[in-house]
Amino acid sequence: MSINPSLHLAEYLERLPGTTFKKLYQQPSTTFAIFRRMLPHLAKTFVMRMLFLPHPMTLTDLDTWVKPEAKRKKDQSLSILRSLHIVQISAPSKEKPQEIQLMSNFKKSLRLALTGGGNHNSFGVPSSLLVPPEIDLAFLDRYARKKWEDVLHFVVSSVGYKSSLGDGSGPNKGVKELLIAGRLVDRRPNGSLGITQAGFTFLLQEANAQVWTLLLLWLEVLGNNKSSGLDPVDMLSFLFMLASLELGRAYDTNALTEERRNMLPSLVDFGLIYIPQHKRSMFFPTRLATTLTSGGNSLRTISEGVTAATQSAQTSQQSLGPLGGGGEQQAGSVVIETNYRLYAYTQSALQIAVLALFAKLNMRFPDMVAGRLSRASIRQAINFGITADQIISYLAVHAHEQMHRTAALTNKPVLPPTVVDQIRLWQLENERMKTTSGFLFRDFTDDKDYLDTARFSEEIGVLVWKNDHARMFFANKHEQIKDFLKTRKRAE
Amino acid sequence: MPRAIRGVLIECDPSIKSIIVNIDSVNHDFIIEDLDEERVVVKENMVHLLKQKLEDRLKENLPPVDESGSE
Repeated sequence: MSINPSLHLAEYLERLPGTTFKKLYQQPSTTFAIFRRMLPHLAKTFVMRMLFLPHPMTLTDLDTWVKPEAKRKKDQSLSILRSLHIVQISAPSKEKPQEIQLMSNFKKSLRLALTGGGNHNSFGVPSSLLVPPEIDLAFLDRYARKKWEDVLHFVVSSVGYKSSLGDGSGPNKGVKELLIAGRLVDRRPNGSLGITQAGFTFLLQEANAQVWTLLLLWLEVLGNNKSSGLDPVDMLSFLFMLASLELGRAYDTNALTEERRNMLPSLVDFGLIYIPQHKRSMFFPTRLATTLTSGGNSLRTISEGVTAATQSAQTSQQSLGPLGGGGEQQAGSVVIETNYRLYAYTQSALQIAVLALFAKLNMRFPDMVAGRLSRASIRQAINFGITADQIISYLAVHAHEQMHRTAALTNKPVLPPTVVDQIRLWQLENERMKTTSGFLFRDFTDDKDYLDTARFSEEIGVLVWKNDHARMFFANKHEQIKDFLKTRKRAE
Repeated sequence: MPRAIRGVLIECDPSIKSIIVNIDSVNHDFIIEDLDEERVVVKENMVHLLKQKLEDRLKENLPPVDESGSE
């Protein structure tokens, strides 16, 4: 269940050295974006209160701002502020109490961002050219959604579900290579592409987190590739700048530095910006770009993702009532029968692709697909790292209204128990062995030695298996047991 | 002095275990310690290969899956 750690923006930022932050904080837009997105509320309050202080303040003064019972929250906030190089805390000494202050460049830029002024152009330069009338908010939203869905489809369609539009409609080659480099999809031995566990986690994210995942992958790939001539720090601050632009407004590409202009084609590929065919000197940020820094959504794990999908399906069901069905969220569209046949009343290619992860779909109609669950299809899903429980909860959440009605009438569970059990059995079949990595302890000199050590490891909860007769046991961690053995030896 | 050996504990059915022992018997490069009917300790770097070999072995022995039934 390992997920590329750099998928998290916070972790990515924390790994950057202090000098990088100095550069980032030269831009008011970047400073403001980090302030908005990366800080918890308490940390924001600290920053705002310190922003216009002329002198450093003592830590004891800061303590008086916080209720004693919130000490943990305060410590967390301070540690975040320090790791992002936003505050400076003087070293403890006897003569002077510890003092805290904002880093000077952060302070300066945030003041500029909030009060305006300066000619840093860090919030973009609006284009003076006439905006083509057909480019409005709806157009940009449609465009961004199309681009982003292409990316998502590429991730899922690698499973074998072929989009009816053919291969030409997928994302750009560069984007595809990026997804492969980021191991969201994998080249299989037979040359085809397949979704990975990380890719499945990716699919379950909110769009905002997905965009960041892709952008961070991109930064990483370009950062490793020095010949690209792009500086990841500058790129990051450009992304933060995009986030501060106004949706539906045209900006001037000529006001950008050359490096940033070189980034534009990739951003077009991701759907973050739109450049009109006949007016190359202006660009429009789309909703994907302008919402980059809104909300502090972190990445979800698979299980959280499923939970979120469950909840959103439930709420949309409630809010739409019996009329819901044509809604965007494809709630209640899947029928599953006791003979493993599966019917989904949906037009969403994405949902069909998700179904194709674990079901063998063999018919498609204008508003419905039909298929069945089989040993092979479940096995395939499990190979992708999807668990039986995830499949079952997906089916339960998306169960068609008719399934609920029948279940209520006959007083039976919504999903046929035979199917649910069989999915679990198929999973078990694929997990013929349970593996636990750890350490085998053996060759104890006497019974007492063995018994004491085994009891100790049982007490600290690392014992997995033991055999008193053979004087062996298996533990999943060894550090504490080693220490225990050492102290015993010394005591002897 | 007791020893600690790094490895992976595998718990499975006796039938599967006998296949693992059989796979190991070719070069003796998988198993560190044969614990009992349902457990063996295997070298950590060999688990992946072992899983693959086991899979192949099972494929040979299992009857082809009945995937008929009208679609």
